[in-house]
Amino acid sequence: MKGTSQHFRKSAIGGLVLGLTGFLAGYAQAACELKLGVVGTLSGPAAQWGLALKGAVDLVAAEYNAEGGVPVGSEKCRVAVSAFDGKYTAEGAAAGANALVSQGVKFIIGPIGSPEMTGLKPIAARNNLLVMGNGYAKNAIGPQWPLVFHNGPGPSGWADPIVKVAKAKFGIKKVVVVAPNDQGGTDIASVDAVAYKNNGIEAIEEYYQRGTSNFQPIVTRIINMQPDAVDTASSPPGDTGTMAKQLRQAGFQGPIGHLGGPGTEEIARIAGGIDVLKTFYWYEPIVVDEKIQELAAAYKKAFNTDRPESNLFFQWVGAARMVVKAISKAGTITDTQKVAEALRSLPVEDPNLGKGLWIGQEFFGINQELSFPFGIGTIIDGKMQPIVKQPAATGK
Amino acid sequence: MNEFISAGLIGVSLGAQYALLALGFTLIFGILGVVNFAHGGFYVAGGYIAYGFVSHLGVPYVIAVLLATLATGAIGYLFELFLVERIVEDHLATLMLTLGLYLTMSTGVLVAFGPESPQFQFPISGSLQIGKFHLPIENIVVLSICLLAIATVYLLMYKTDFGRALRALADDRQVAAAQGLRPRLLFPLAFGVACGLAGLTGALVTPILSLAPHVGDPVLATSFLIVILGGLGSIGGATIAAFLVGLVEAYSSVYLGGSKGALALFVLVLIVLVVRPSGLFGREVRGA
Amino acid sequence: MNVIKRNAGEIATVVVLLAAFAVPFLTEDPFVYSVANQIFIAVTAAFSVYLMLRMDLLTFAVPVFMAVGGYTVAIAGLKGGVTDSFALTALSFVVPALIALPLGILVLRLKGVYFVLVTFVLTEITQLVLFETPNLTGGSNGLVGMPPTTLFGLELADNRAVLLLAIGVTVAAAIITALVTSYHRQNFAAIEENETLAQSLGLVVWRYKVLGFVVAAGLAGMAGFSLVNMLLTAHPTSFSSSSSVNYIAYTIVGGRVSMLGPVVGSVLLVWMSNLFSNQGQYSQGLFGLLIIIVVLVARGGIVGTLANLVAFLKQWLRQDDNITAAAPPSALSEHT
Repeated sequence: MKGTSQHFRKSAIGGLVLGLTGFLAGYAQAACELKLGVVGTLSGPAAQWGLALKGAVDLVAAEYNAEGGVPVGSEKCRVAVSAFDGKYTAEGAAAGANALVSQGVKFIIGPIGSPEMTGLKPIAARNNLLVMGNGYAKNAIGPQWPLVFHNGPGPSGWADPIVKVAKAKFGIKKVVVVAPNDQGGTDIASVDAVAYKNNGIEAIEEYYQRGTSNFQPIVTRIINMQPDAVDTASSPPGDTGTMAKQLRQAGFQGPIGHLGGPGTEEIARIAGGIDVLKTFYWYEPIVVDEKIQELAAAYKKAFNTDRPESNLFFQWVGAARMVVKAISKAGTITDTQKVAEALRSLPVEDPNLGKGLWIGQEFFGINQELSFPFGIGTIIDGKMQPIVKQPAATGK
Repeated sequence: MNEFISAGLIGVSLGAQYALLALGFTLIFGILGVVNFAHGGFYVAGGYIAYGFVSHLGVPYVIAVLLATLATGAIGYLFELFLVERIVEDHLATLMLTLGLYLTMSTGVLVAFGPESPQFQFPISGSLQIGKFHLPIENIVVLSICLLAIATVYLLMYKTDFGRALRALADDRQVAAAQGLRPRLLFPLAFGVACGLAGLTGALVTPILSLAPHVGDPVLATSFLIVILGGLGSIGGATIAAFLVGLVEAYSSVYLGGSKGALALFVLVLIVLVVRPSGLFGREVRGA
Repeated sequence: MNVIKRNAGEIATVVVLLAAFAVPFLTEDPFVYSVANQIFIAVTAAFSVYLMLRMDLLTFAVPVFMAVGGYTVAIAGLKGGVTDSFALTALSFVVPALIALPLGILVLRLKGVYFVLVTFVLTEITQLVLFETPNLTGGSNGLVGMPPTTLFGLELADNRAVLLLAIGVTVAAAIITALVTSYHRQNFAAIEENETLAQSLGLVVWRYKVLGFVVAAGLAGMAGFSLVNMLLTAHPTSFSSSSSVNYIAYTIVGGRVSMLGPVVGSVLLVWMSNLFSNQGQYSQGLFGLLIIIVVLVARGGIVGTLANLVAFLKQWLRQDDNITAAAPPSALSEHT
């Protein structure tokens, strides 16, 4: 966090220089420009997700532009990125999609929040946009949206394998799943709860009001239920950190889970250290190994500043690359139907993220969910264990 | 029975934090007639300023809290002096002005510190074990400082000339001004004191809970509730109402759950208002 | 002639909005369509704030009744199969108005800022009620998949039709607002000026207040219909308590002295907000700065400032002609 204003100035200058060189390179090669749209939450509590998304697309664009552009048919197209703040609302994302359409954008990477996905899809369908979005909502993708793809499986993909590991390790018989009471909470917590039940664990769902800052009352309520474990599901890192700290203060000894998203470092910072978390297990969207660290280095090199902190950054690099690869394969920057066809038939593979799968048929009824290898993280007795890499979730 | 007592203890410590926040809010409203939408922004600013001093400059936490209080107070003072003062008679315009300030402040924090929470811990930790109850020591410390601050505000408002002048201005600005009190001098000071209180709360509470650019968002709704219940501009009313809200929130969350509990709290406030349209301890007040 | 002059603001507003029907035929740019759609929703909602301000009552409750109107329409479409635009518009006005009647009788007993704060509490309650009633409102996921609305049996599905419907709803809302404010102009003005005095002169104040509250709720409901129709979704995030501040901002920044104010404010702020959203994480801050600047520079809002300017210029010109008679106040600033 040190010297952040400088960091921003640097990134601004870096962006400018990059844009300029890109512009010149593009100019020298006739004007074929591939516009990638980004709709994500860039302000407010969920800003870190949107900033990770934007950083990833910026990096992918820079990668291709450094090689003179994306090969499309006989041309090489420069990649431009245009980002819009979806504000974590349906109408914000709808406005974003419309704004991007009028800038000539045909491909949208993002959004991330479930409300944003809900608002964006009708506009995308009306304008034949290809969307590579996220959002763990139960109806995030589906057969009625053939041009909408899903980056990284939701809990339907990874909850089951993680629950199995947690059950074997910690011997959980009863769990309380706690999350905020809006769509970002209920859609994940309910799927997590089903995964626990399918593994023979009693699961109780508990919802708090979004914006709660002091969790002592909730913690007291949870402890009264006498669970073996507490799963904070998709509670934001800030809330999870506070809850973990207050659970431990109130004498809760069992494991605490976070099957809903990344942010364990931030959670530990708020809770007061790894030793406070003590016994902790979570879904890690990506296992950061050497291969993946290269992406962070590449970002630093391209923009002269550190990558966005959220690990979702890596997942989005993989997703954005898949879309651009499909565009190149289809040989068109306008026909989204053709690109979607190419995308479906592309094997899921990334030089940094490894091999993955297309999944989703069982849960969403359409096989358009991108699944890369993920990780299961654990902290045992206050010590961080190496994150166990799992093969790409199958969603079955 | 155990949980009943636990919930009561939690309610009291929630109430102390709320009281500190609501005092500033009700001071600004009672004296200037301004609904300060930026109140949550000063809470966040207090947290980040204290954090900045502790982690970047190595200042001891206690001094950092004092510096944060002074700094937020100074920002509030300048804001009133140069911006709010120009339009202080127009309540709608000041509402918009403070809203604009809040949006600008939270964006400033987001850009300067990034979206994620930094490591910012209370220097003392551990729990006091009384029988079956765990009482985190940091809660006790915060509770005592809150009570101390509330007492100070009382003394300031009721035992000093400054306080008497402010209360006179709150009662009837024209008469008070005719008697020689000078709102132009006193208003910025009052605004500064109130914002300093919000900053103090932020510096004290965010290391116990969490610090992030958006943690000020719920402050407004809570302050509204307390001020409605306590009666506007009434310091005693706001203090009692803050503890009431804390207790109701604790009990309803423990027995009904977080989401239904919040609903219960809001509905309770509505019922109180229907029965007593000027709040529990309220008197007739000016319009906005 | 006098009637026209007295109602110049109302007439001008309706005329401007009627002229807006040309917009969908001048361009096909989806960005313009999107922004225009948001503007018309904003104008309709801002009329609700404007109407309450006529009685010096500030309300945060706009999203509450937008939600009632929006969800009513969504449920009518999904469960009742109602698609006729006229029927839906009427429903979106009537249902919130009916709910506002008992609610208004309760909360209008509150004076001054108590009323303001309670309307804010209502927005929080609305969110929680939506979350806690999943069978009716879809809970946190909202309602999706409404059938497209129809006009005389024709489907209104494409961008242009959706925008035309939004404009139509706004014009209807403008006419309702104009009729209510001009018909009750003197009574509202008396309440705004001095409620106690008005009461002692025999005006049954609470009756007018309840009337205003009920109509304002209906207007907000119509805005909710437009919003749901644009998104094809009724979602809790569309009616968040923080959005209530926006509608107040549109009205005050535009100017509360004339019905043109909410229109001007909505156009400026919605348009700028869309431009700012392209600025990523700076968007909120830029929006905040804009509000600060307008509030400090243009007191009485943009329309109020312009009206004063016009009045000043008139006076100045007359003085030039050596006419000493006092200039009649401009039509716009007359009914402050």
